[in-house]
Amino acid sequence: MEAQAQPTYGKYLIIWIWLITLLAAGTFISTLPISKTEAVLLILGISLIKTALVALFYMHLKFERSVPLWAVVVFPFFLVGSAVLLVFSSRLFS
Amino acid sequence: MTHAAETTCTGIPSPKLGMWLFLASEVMFFTGLLGAYIVLRAGLPTWPHPGEELKIPLAALNTFILLSSSMTMALSVAAVHHADRAKAQLFLMLTIGLGTAFLGVKGYEYSLKFAHGHFPGTGIFWDCYFTLTGLHGLHVLAGIIANFWVLSLTFRPDFLKQRGHLVEISGLYWHFVDVVWIFLFPLVYLI
Repeated sequence: MEAQAQPTYGKYLIIWIWLITLLAAGTFISTLPISKTEAVLLILGISLIKTALVALFYMHLKFERSVPLWAVVVFPFFLVGSAVLLVFSSRLFS
Repeated sequence: MTHAAETTCTGIPSPKLGMWLFLASEVMFFTGLLGAYIVLRAGLPTWPHPGEELKIPLAALNTFILLSSSMTMALSVAAVHHADRAKAQLFLMLTIGLGTAFLGVKGYEYSLKFAHGHFPGTGIFWDCYFTLTGLHGLHVLAGIIANFWVLSLTFRPDFLKQRGHLVEISGLYWHFVDVVWIFLFPLVYLI
């Protein structure tokens, strides 16, 4: 395996602090007197950020330069997007 | 990092490519489950409010535990890259411990539900709750077993040269299980 730049122990700790902060933020938002739509958008947005942090740093995708591997990673999300579009197409295009 | 993983024609080591392909299939598996949950929930006129039936602090604690276990897993992979066997073992053991704690809290949560007469089959809400969290729990259990197996291999003299990459492969699976919970927690407990 070719040598790749990897985060240091300290970097992993900083990512963890961000993850815990975002967890607290998402939990706090769920208690706020805001509309359901706003809460869903904010909380799922935070989940996406947490997922990106885990995937990029803990799963090392930030340092991955292999196009075939990125294809394997991205393709299911393309299928997921298509499935979501199909399921909600009647609402979106009616 | 030194190890003996064979590389495919894509330039990616076979075990790593195999794990990513498996994770791609797992994304589809959980998408189907979560999609069914969202459609079922949207089709019902009423649904319990957040915190009404499920304890948010307990689930938040479990999220904290799982996020922390992802960090210890990443630290174990880093230790292998630094050829530090003792630290790799320590962080693997912490990951296994945190994973077990997650299942312990989940078991306690289940016992509370059972005591109140809530089982699978007692309503769509409880069917969804037990299916989603139960299948995720089984994935956590599988991750703990995989990490135990990798931990047992770390005691072999040739571990760092021949099998160090297995920590990374097992770690990819563990982080995926964490990512699934990152979405399950808000969808089931917060929203």
